[in-house]
Parts: sequence; C-alpha cells; structure tokens
Amino acid sequence: MMAALRARAISLFQGILCNSKSNSSALDVRFQVCVTQVRSHKIIQIPRFRHPYWHVRKDRSHYSENLTAENKEFIQETIAKEFGPPTVVSGVQTYGSPVKNVTKVEPVEWFPGIRRTSTIARKIGIQPMWLKDGTRVMCTLLQIVDNHVVKYNPPENVIPLRRREKVVPKKALGRYGALVVGAESADPQEFTKNYCGLFRESGLPPKRRLARFLISPQAVLPPGTPLNAMHYRAGDYVDVTGFTIMRGFQGVMKRWGFKGMRATHGVTKTHRRPGNIGAGGGKARVWPGKKMPGHMGGKTRTLRGLKILRINTEYNVLYVIGQNVPGQINSYTYIHDCLLQHRWVREAKDARPLPTYIPKEGETHPEDIYAADVHPFDGSSIMYEVVDTPTVRTGAKIAKAKGGKK
Amino acid sequence: MASCLSRLCLTSRLGGKTMRTIGCRGLNTSHISMMPKSSSSESTTDNSVEKESSKKRGKSTQVPSYEQGKVSRSGVELRFKYPEMFPEPHMIWRNPIKEKLERKDMLARRSRIYIPEFYVGSVLRVSLSNFHQADKTSTFVGICIQRNECGLKANFILRNVIDNLGVEVKIELYDPRLLKIEVLRLEKRLDTHLRYLRDAPHEFSTFPLDMKPEIRRTDDVPLNRIKVKLNPRPWTENWYKYDFKGIDNIEDQITNKMNRRRIQLRKPWEKYDMMKTYRETLPEEEINEILSEIKEDVEEHEQKHRRRIN
Repeated sequence: MMAALRARAISLFQGILCNSKSNSSALDVRFQVCVTQVRSHKIIQIPRFRHPYWHVRKDRSHYSENLTAENKEFIQETIAKEFGPPTVVSGVQTYGSPVKNVTKVEPVEWFPGIRRTSTIARKIGIQPMWLKDGTRVMCTLLQIVDNHVVKYNPPENVIPLRRREKVVPKKALGRYGALVVGAESADPQEFTKNYCGLFRESGLPPKRRLARFLISPQAVLPPGTPLNAMHYRAGDYVDVTGFTIMRGFQGVMKRWGFKGMRATHGVTKTHRRPGNIGAGGGKARVWPGKKMPGHMGGKTRTLRGLKILRINTEYNVLYVIGQNVPGQINSYTYIHDCLLQHRWVREAKDARPLPTYIPKEGETHPEDIYAADVHPFDGSSIMYEVVDTPTVRTGAKIAKAKGGKK
Repeated sequence: MASCLSRLCLTSRLGGKTMRTIGCRGLNTSHISMMPKSSSSESTTDNSVEKESSKKRGKSTQVPSYEQGKVSRSGVELRFKYPEMFPEPHMIWRNPIKEKLERKDMLARRSRIYIPEFYVGSVLRVSLSNFHQADKTSTFVGICIQRNECGLKANFILRNVIDNLGVEVKIELYDPRLLKIEVLRLEKRLDTHLRYLRDAPHEFSTFPLDMKPEIRRTDDVPLNRIKVKLNPRPWTENWYKYDFKGIDNIEDQITNKMNRRRIQLRKPWEKYDMMKTYRETLPEEEINEILSEIKEDVEEHEQKHRRRIN
C-alpha cells in the first residue's frame, strides 16, 4: 500500500517537473503544494478541486469612481445595447431583449429514471386555499424568478460536491451532467469582471443567483433557454430546498421540542432544561448526537413531496402545499422534481414536460391553472350533496336473510 | 395642517380593525395637539370619534371636509369597509406580487358572494354549508367580537348565548363554504375587540336566532357607547391590564395590587411615539394605490348587490 502511494507521488512529482519547465504557472502552484513536507502526515495531500467550481468572486467593492452624469448615462446605454432596455417581465426586473443565438429545444422521450433540471425560486408568501371538499390548506407561494440556463457540463467533467457529512453515491458518478441555472438578471456593474465573464458564452446578462443541478444527459438544455412555471404541472409533486431561518442559540425546548419541566410543584431552576443527558455505569459519557442546546437554523434543508395546487402563468408562481417551506419570505429556494419513491413518475404517458416546457406558436394558457382537487376562488360556493349510501349487510344479517328465504 | 385634520376624519370611521392595518403613515397622531380648541381633547384622542361630536361642530370653517385630505371620501369609506385588503405593514413579511395576487383572489371570491361592511360590535347572521348535514345549511347569529388577520386569512369571531351557554364560531371570510353574510345590526363599539364579553353576564351577548335586520336610516355607522359589567373573577384573560373603554366596573373587581399593576402598565407616551406609528402603519401613497386598484371592482360589486335587493 505504502509503496504504491510512494510510487504515485514520485510519478506525479516527475510529471510536474517535466511540465513545469515548458508551460503553465498553475501547475507550478500544484507542484509546490505537492512537495510541502508535513511530517505528521503519512499521505501527501493532493490539492482538491474546490467546489462549486464555477464560483469566482462575485461581489466587488463599491468605491467612488468619480463618474460624471454623462459617463453613467453612457454605461447604461452600453448595457441597454447589449442586453436590451431594463424592463419588468412577469413582476421581475430584467433586461428587455431576448438572448441571442439560442438553439431550439427539442422534446425528449421519457424513460425510467430520467432527471430534469430544477429551478430557482423566491418564497414570496403564504396564503390559505380551499380544496373542493371544503378543507382548508395553507400553501406557500414560490415565484420562479427569471431563470435561464447558463452552462452545461457533461457527466465526465462533473466532479460531485464533497461534503463532510454526505458523500455523493458512487453510482451517481458519471451518470448525471451538471446544468448551471441562473436567476434574476442584474446590472453588470454590481459584480466583478470575472463573474460577468461566466455569462459571456451564453450571451446572458449576469445573474444574481447561480445553482448547479444534476440532470440526465438526455434532458440537457442549451445555454440561454428560459425556464418558467410551465416547467411544472398543477398536481405534480416537488421537493423544495431552502436555507432555514436563523434562530440563534436556542435551548432544547425550542430547538428539539423537548417538553421542559413543570412550572410549580417544587421544581426549582429547571423549567426549560433538558434533564438527564447520559447514563452512568459502564458507559459513563454522553453519546455523540445527543440533542442539546445550540445554534438553530441557518442550514440548507429540503422539504419533500409537496403538491403543486395551482400555477400562476403570468407571474410564474407555484402554489405549493404546506406552510413550512424552509427559508424566510423573499429568500431563494430551489424546486426539484420529487425524489420520493411513491411520487415518482412511472409511465411515459404521465411524464412531465421533457426536457422543459417548449412554448408553441399561438398557444395561450389560462392565467391560473388549478390541480384537479382545488377549489378556484372564482368558483361558486361549495354545496354538499346528499349521497345515498347503500346499507351494507354484515355477515350475520346476510346469513339470516338467506335462512329466511329457505 | 391639512393632513392632520384629515386624520381626524379618517379616524372617525375607524371600526373594529386595529389601528395597525388601517392607520395611515402620512398622518400622525402627534399633530392632533395642534387642533383648534372647538373640538374637545377627549374626542381627538379617541380612536373612534363619534358622529355626535362632528354633528355638534356642524360645518364650521374650522372643521375640515373630506376633500381637504388627499384621500377622497369614497376612498376613506373603502379603507374601513374592507380592512383585510390592506397588508400587514411588517416589512420582512411583505412582497408586492404576493399582495397583488392575493387581492385578485379576494376580488374573485367577492364576485361570488356579497361580503358586506361590518365592524366589531355588529350583529351578523352567517350561513355555511356543512358536510355533516348536506341537505341543509347551518346558520348562526351572533355579535362580532373580533376581526383578525389580513388578506385571504381574514376571519372573525361571532358570539351568542344559546341555552345559557356561550357559543363562539370563528369564520373565515373567504371560505368557499360560506354561503351568506347578513348584517342584522350595523354598529361599532368603543373597543377594537370585545373578547371580554366572555366574562360578562350573558345578557350582553344574547341575540335571538330569528333576529330581523334593522333598517338603517342614514349612511353613518352608529357608535354604541354601552358599557359592560364584568362578572367577578376568575376571568379568561387579565382584562385589568388593558384600558378598555367598554368595561364599566373593572376597578370594583380587582385587588389593590392589580390596580397598582394596571396603572404601572399604562403607556400614555405611546401615542406620541412617531417611530411606532411609522412602523405599524402603511404609507398614505400605498393605501391610495391599493384603493385605486380595488375601487372599480368593489363599486361594481356593491351596485350589483343593490340591484339584487331592489
């Protein structure tokens, strides 16, 4: 084992030595890191590829550039020439002209396990809706904000996200490509030059938010393709990922829902405390993972299996069941097709629009599309009908009836 | 000055909803001290200035007309008629698109059912369809003791005493099961909510189930200045902590210690807190914008209903 490692290190070392003379400086850096001697480590730590790899520095420092009014006007004119005049499209501030040279998207046939792209949305609020049987459900409004495909990386180039807790399963490697999707166009002056350069190929204005979604290579979309609420259908199930609301340092009652202790009856100083945290005897210690007070919120969490009750096509809003979608109002969320097994699409005839919804010429949609069991607000009041249920005879009664006939 | 005067007129229409959603940021209470002496100090500080005092004043030159403010009279009426149309002014929960969509839904529902003007203290008859008795509609008569929430979440609580038992029903305003809302007696009370009727004798919240709607002679909404006598303690809530104008005998019912606490908890400075008013009210321009958006639909809706009655 050790011999093999040593051989690998040497070969790396030699290879870099050969290359370093001839070309890039980037390899020099790698070379330096490789040979740094760390006595305590048996294995040489090879520098890892940092993720997410498209990340370059985004925000720039806003210092005074002493621009005259004319200069500022000229900059705005140049931006308008490139991306079109600033306009509001379906409630979101963006630039007017459509993206140049976008290749047309062709529909794809469904096969089991095909994975489409996800979208970036803003959580804009919560409101009640009523189903046709009269039950009241709370739903969350998710607005898909000016989404465009920025870039595609085929499976062989994708290096999965390495996290401390979760490692991407090996079978996912080489199976999915990565689609970079951006949301909300913004003034290029807000960002660094490098960040704006990410969008040059696709011809898009720089986006406020970028996300990478793993997709099947068959469901690939060309850069510049817009994604909207018609990507989903009313009645479908989705998973929503968000960044939970920051709660700060919290006790066990709020953080884990412990019951606490009584307010009276001789209880002193332990009304909101956890109580006993470990056993004595042989294992006289606290087990790892014990629920304790600590920092609460501010974590990426996914709520799975949420039904889309309604879609507003004008403002690209999904009305998704549940009032506990992670994240504050006006924060970003990611909407994925549902991964729960019992919510999977199992047949081609039931397939979602693949690879995304492709608008046809002259096709119009109603402003609101409701799921089958949802009561629309402009519908008439709910009236229940008397249903005559046939009386079911139990076994004894049937026997009696039979006996009587005889 | 004009703005502070128009505030008075606005507050005179203030009914069941709390100041929070109805209040207007452009117009501040602190200006009220600048009012001419002809109007008594008591009536100026009162949230619900009664119609009587305005009548007494008549149409003298000092008393402002509705036209003096930026909001027209009809606009003012709309604002207090449909309090749930205006969003919660808490900035971190607001989103203009969501509010727009919600208003649209509310108007869509209002095209199907007539939701009349009513306030806390009005007596209503409400009929709902019920899953458990499909062949009938269940109706309830009671006094509105509270109006909650804005937007589609808007709801109110009706209270009545049936067979010597207090009964309360919470009703969602935009529930599609709601078939009809009928106002039997349109009036306001002295307080923003009347939850204390739970601890009052039954006579204050008893209304006959076959009550007939009272005929209104004027467009003005009368203010009922009735004062309620509470039952002896224990109560459902600590009523002594708040200054209710509609409770008569609260000091007889509480101990000296409670009375001291009651005085301690008073916040007479709050009406001069401009930042508090700023935080808890909507800007005037925004109110006008919303009003101009909903006005046409709502007026059409009203006319349609009137035609149906005639």
